[in-house]
Amino acid sequence: MLPILAAHFLAAAVAPPLVGWFGRKVFLLLAVVPLASLTWLAAQGPAVVDGDRVEQDVPWVPSLGLEVALAMGPLQWVLALLVTGVGGLVLVYCAWYFHADEPGLTSFSGHFVAFAGAMLGLVLSADLLLLYVFWELTTVFSYLLIGHDPARRGSRAAGMQALVVTTLGGLAMLVGILLVGDAAGSFRVEDVLASPPTGGVAVTAAVLLLAGAVTKSAVVPFHFWLPGAMAAPTPVSAYLHAAAMVKAGIYLVALLSPAFADVAGWRETTLVLGTATMLVGGWRALRQVDIKLLLAYGTVSQLGFLTVVAGTGTRAAAFAALALLLAHALFKATLFLVVGIVDHTAGTRDLRALSGVGRKLPWVAVLACVAGASMAGLPPLLGFTAKESVLAALLDVAHTGDGTGVPAYLGWAVVAGVVAGSALTAAYTLRFLWGAFATKDGVEPSTVTPPGAAAVVPPAVFAALSLLLGFTGGPLTTLLDRHAASFPAGEHAPKLTLWHGVNTALLLTLLSLAVGLLAFAARALVEQVQARLTTPLSAERSYHWAVRGLDRAAVELTGRTQRGSVAIYLSVILLVIVVVPGAALVAALQDPVRWVRWDNVGQPLVAVVVVVAAVLTARARRRLKAVVLVGVAGYGTALLFLLQGAPDLALTQLLVETVTLVVFVLVLRRLPAYFTDRPLHWSRHVRAAIGLLAAVAVASFMLVTGAARTAVPVSDDFATEAVEYGGGKNIVNVTLVDIRAWDTMGELAVLVVAATGVASLIFIETRGMAIRRVREIPYPVSVRKQTTNKSRRVWLPAGRTLAPERRSIIFEVVTRLLFHAIIVLSVFLLFSGHNNPGGGFAAGLVTGLALLVRYLAGGRYELDEAAPVDAGVLIGTGLGVAALSGLAPLAFGGTVLQSAVVDLAVPLIGELHLVTSLFFDVGVYLVVVGLMLDLLRSLGSGIDRQILREERESRAAAPTGGGA
Amino acid sequence: MSFEAPHIEYATLSPLLIVFGVALVGVLVEAFVPRRLRYLVQSVLALVGLVAALAATIWVATDLTVRGDGAARGSIVAEGAIAVDGPSVFVWGTLLLLSLISVLLFAERHLDGGLSAFAGQAAALPGTEAERQASTRGLEHTEVYPLMMFAVAGMMLFPASNDLLTMFVALEILSLPLYLLCGLARRRRLLSQEAALKYFMLGAFSSGFFLYGVALVYGFSGSTHLAAIAEAVNGRIGGQGLLLGGIALIAVGMLFKVGAAPFHSWTPDVYQGAPTAVTAFMAACTKIAAFGALLRLFYVAFGSAERDWTPMIWIVAILTMAVGSVFALSQTDIKRMLAYSSVAHAGFLLVGFVGLHEGGEGISSLQSVLFYLVTYGFMTVGAFAVVTLVRDAGGEANHLARWAGLGKESPLVAGIFAFFLLAMAGIPLTSGFTGKWAVFSSAAQGGAWPLVVIAVLLSVVAAFFYLRVIVLMYFSDPVGDAPAVAVPSILTTVTIAIGLAATVVLGILPGPVLDLAADAGAFIR
Repeated sequence: MLPILAAHFLAAAVAPPLVGWFGRKVFLLLAVVPLASLTWLAAQGPAVVDGDRVEQDVPWVPSLGLEVALAMGPLQWVLALLVTGVGGLVLVYCAWYFHADEPGLTSFSGHFVAFAGAMLGLVLSADLLLLYVFWELTTVFSYLLIGHDPARRGSRAAGMQALVVTTLGGLAMLVGILLVGDAAGSFRVEDVLASPPTGGVAVTAAVLLLAGAVTKSAVVPFHFWLPGAMAAPTPVSAYLHAAAMVKAGIYLVALLSPAFADVAGWRETTLVLGTATMLVGGWRALRQVDIKLLLAYGTVSQLGFLTVVAGTGTRAAAFAALALLLAHALFKATLFLVVGIVDHTAGTRDLRALSGVGRKLPWVAVLACVAGASMAGLPPLLGFTAKESVLAALLDVAHTGDGTGVPAYLGWAVVAGVVAGSALTAAYTLRFLWGAFATKDGVEPSTVTPPGAAAVVPPAVFAALSLLLGFTGGPLTTLLDRHAASFPAGEHAPKLTLWHGVNTALLLTLLSLAVGLLAFAARALVEQVQARLTTPLSAERSYHWAVRGLDRAAVELTGRTQRGSVAIYLSVILLVIVVVPGAALVAALQDPVRWVRWDNVGQPLVAVVVVVAAVLTARARRRLKAVVLVGVAGYGTALLFLLQGAPDLALTQLLVETVTLVVFVLVLRRLPAYFTDRPLHWSRHVRAAIGLLAAVAVASFMLVTGAARTAVPVSDDFATEAVEYGGGKNIVNVTLVDIRAWDTMGELAVLVVAATGVASLIFIETRGMAIRRVREIPYPVSVRKQTTNKSRRVWLPAGRTLAPERRSIIFEVVTRLLFHAIIVLSVFLLFSGHNNPGGGFAAGLVTGLALLVRYLAGGRYELDEAAPVDAGVLIGTGLGVAALSGLAPLAFGGTVLQSAVVDLAVPLIGELHLVTSLFFDVGVYLVVVGLMLDLLRSLGSGIDRQILREERESRAAAPTGGGA
Repeated sequence: MSFEAPHIEYATLSPLLIVFGVALVGVLVEAFVPRRLRYLVQSVLALVGLVAALAATIWVATDLTVRGDGAARGSIVAEGAIAVDGPSVFVWGTLLLLSLISVLLFAERHLDGGLSAFAGQAAALPGTEAERQASTRGLEHTEVYPLMMFAVAGMMLFPASNDLLTMFVALEILSLPLYLLCGLARRRRLLSQEAALKYFMLGAFSSGFFLYGVALVYGFSGSTHLAAIAEAVNGRIGGQGLLLGGIALIAVGMLFKVGAAPFHSWTPDVYQGAPTAVTAFMAACTKIAAFGALLRLFYVAFGSAERDWTPMIWIVAILTMAVGSVFALSQTDIKRMLAYSSVAHAGFLLVGFVGLHEGGEGISSLQSVLFYLVTYGFMTVGAFAVVTLVRDAGGEANHLARWAGLGKESPLVAGIFAFFLLAMAGIPLTSGFTGKWAVFSSAAQGGAWPLVVIAVLLSVVAAFFYLRVIVLMYFSDPVGDAPAVAVPSILTTVTIAIGLAATVVLGILPGPVLDLAADAGAFIR
């Protein structure tokens, strides 16, 4: 079986180029594939009838439990014959149907053959998962076939609708398959049938599997997609309606009925939905004026009929279902192909415009009449014998339940529904035949061009089979019996024959035919009634409503939560943090936490100041105010360190805070003065509340973690080790330059990168301009240069480069007096750092602050005067010094970054206690100074220049603006 | 106090070290190689490095020592910091392959008039003279290659970390270059920079939470080693709150990287803003690395606390699938749509992750997630690669309306993209189906039935929006000027071809890769 499947897909792959080269005649060649398959399948007939299942297993993905397991029993055999037979003949028909210049014909040919292959695979699958795979493939290919003509909007929408509905059902079915497979421990059909699930799982699985079947087979309430799919070319419709796609759902129901028929909900669903579908389809068919659409609704009706019979789950019903399926395939294929002929030869499908076609195409009309008679259930056709067997089966169920437990009222309601449906069927059959072929008064006779042989042979074959099989009830009964044997024997042994004697079934058939004839005769009246009975509620509208609703909801939701606002994103994340880990920690807080209020009265006072500053910061509207308040909080923290007894930390914090403040202020020159507009939008208050919550959560994290300590802190040993190994009493500094020197090394590198980053953002190309000394700057022409001599000195050399209104003589004087003192202080801090508060980092910051003061007092040229070096050189040197001092101990047999203590007696100065890590600290110092210089040059001088340039440009632009 | 040098197993760590080395050499190349040669040197260096690392990975994989009962293979190296075991090596291989094809996308210069997709000079303000000059002078940032190599190295280290601090360091190594790369788009630079900033801010927060969690877990267990944590969790002596709080905080950091709801919100903005090559790279590789780490962390360290964290992950998984599938419906930008699709995929992966199926019958959760990651990675890189081809005068034409009628304009490109979309939707005979099938079936066997059912239903909604794009491409008329499909160089072509081939092969013959994932075995402790 695998070869014939593979042949289909192979043919599908080569079809498009072939059609592209050789045109539509290639369809005849393509038809060979399904027809050859048909021959092979037919050869298996005797074995199948004898009850041998033809099986083939090919492992696919063993570890996932996926394999290509194919098997063929009587049910599969019949369907496979239909799939290949109808497929092959429709391909033959295609060779006539399409014009040579039909757009998209190449891809169409591939899709069609692939679709046939998928359908064949579906019916041959012995594994539910494989079945699902083919199921979805038929969905995809049918979509491509229905939407074949991309130029037509309707065709696209119809394809999409079919796709959405059937995919939806398919996925529900997949869930059902999963449930069933889990219950049975295997996805093999035979295993599932052998050990069907029970209880709640079974009901759920049954409903889900049926969801797949009813969507695929266009049963109410999903019937609307099938008439919509009429947008497809007629050969596709013929195949879709007769042998493929919609038959998949029926096949699934027939396949699983032995296992599921007794599950609560299975019979109720199939019987009720099936009957409703039969009636709805028939009723709608009577209203159509497009003969193809009429047939489509007819298919809907017939599919409902088939669902009823296939879902009943008795031996007689299973027997009848297969018979009806066969009959339906044959007559529906004929009828659709005939519609194609009429459409193409007469140029329309509107039954109000068609007239006299029967006279001009008598043979076609005869074929249509034979198929129509089969559809209406007239003897001696297969449609009649099949319908008789259906009625017999259903009557058994209504009479006694036939082992199904279906209550009598439901049984009779179904019988009544089916009879009414048959009446409608008879009526719309007549309407179809009349509409297509009759000569109508007052309608101009249609002009008809005769069709080719390729057009007539396929429908003729199907019509002939409808007739022939009506007479071969005996052999057919043997075959169908083999299929139905999986059910327990019922009230009567089913049999296909033209004459059962006069029984209820025959009478009901006659009744339905009579009513149908009447309804056709009184069609004007029926049309009037139908016009009155339109309902605004339709499944199709609900579908559109649901799709639109989903779209709308998605848009709304996205608009509300995904508008690109980081604040919203962060709020969500923070809320989750507060709720989930926060909740866990609230639980943790149950354990008693030991509190120490304070060591010193100063602490709470400072804490209050810090808190107030923090709150005011958050409330501040002016950026500058916020920055200053943050500074207050920072200085408060420094004070806390001091009160805790950590002067070194306090010093560092103080310096860092000052530098931060100044850098902020420098940057703020280029930012708007205010954060926000007042009054605040309500969302800001929400954010504030979230911020508060997050703060509480974070504070409790700290509390919990602080209270959780059970081990001795590693830093306890630092005090002794700092002196013993590091040779210094300032623990912080020794930690930096000795104990954790590697960390410091890394941090230095980071600092260098950060400084470079800041500078490169401002200067883009190179770090700063060349350093320009004041003496190189020419005086403006209007200014007379005062002679300089030894006796005439200035306080700051670059003062003259500033505009007079920006100069402050007092500031310049103070700067001049303080600068050198600060530098000395910084050098002192650098050298004393090992034992006293200070160290390279603090010293670097102090030097930086000294430079900052010079810059503030004298502008950017003053900065160059104060430090006529490139910041990059300074930073690089610093890093180099630190690295070399780290490596130096290696030369003396030590390890990297090891410290040695050298005590020297230097004349005049006295005892010098030198720890080699000082050199490392010098490196740190240089890097920090370089960083400060970089910050001042970029955020200070760099921005000065930008401001100046902008002023100049706006001044240059202003006159022209004024003149215009 | 004597200093003992750590013992490093250089050979076992060679894949990692090669990538790190290439990244460092890349930095030197930037400094010393003349500008006009850099593009060639850097791209070749990156490619060669990745190939070498891949070869080393294969060598390491064949050389893993079998441990205990044979359920796991590998060894813990670098003083307990890194676990080189089956899953690590599997993830390494996947990451390296995907990085290889991503490098090809990075190096593509045919699509935009001989220029790469990266900004000529990232520091130049958008719309200024400096930017124009950088463009006319044909500048380009070849730094992207070392940056990417660093990211790859971080990604490789992340799932192999056997220690929470190593894991954190890896997280940062992989994240920081990505933040930068996101901001380097040549076109629509403000959008790109905004994306980078958002990613950075939110990413910094989530990294912070991760570290916070590490601290709490350390407080609970007294160690950052996964095995020691597992022992402490197994013993459970007090400090429950610390542990649970820690797990939750670490999970936040992890789930952020994975792009799971409610921490997904950066995904669409960043995927849209970043240069598409970067998007492809990070959509695939970040997710793979993060899932690798997530699996190791939760299976190894917190395995015996599963009762505590599975409810949380269930909720996150459902939320993620729902958010990804529903929000994608309303997208009008192809990259945003793919971003939501990746969120939905994260949800499906979480389903596999939380199934907690140990193996035995059927495939284990670990195996299924690893397999899904492979399928996801290739289809994602492939799909984004196709996105780079559809262009108009302003660069890539990402608005969905511009994709209308693409099927007529360029049947090949539209067909390939449609195939990727079908794969993402999980249609049979694509790798998307086998991947989904793997995670769902393992989760089902692990007893997560309700989750699987929800997952299947949400994949219907997800399928809908993929199909809508296909319909748009094939059945709509182009609006205004038809979008042009640029002809790529061999580089992008190869990327797309590999993505496509993987998606097809894994859909039809997933066996070998599944076996590889199975051979990876369990995590070692």
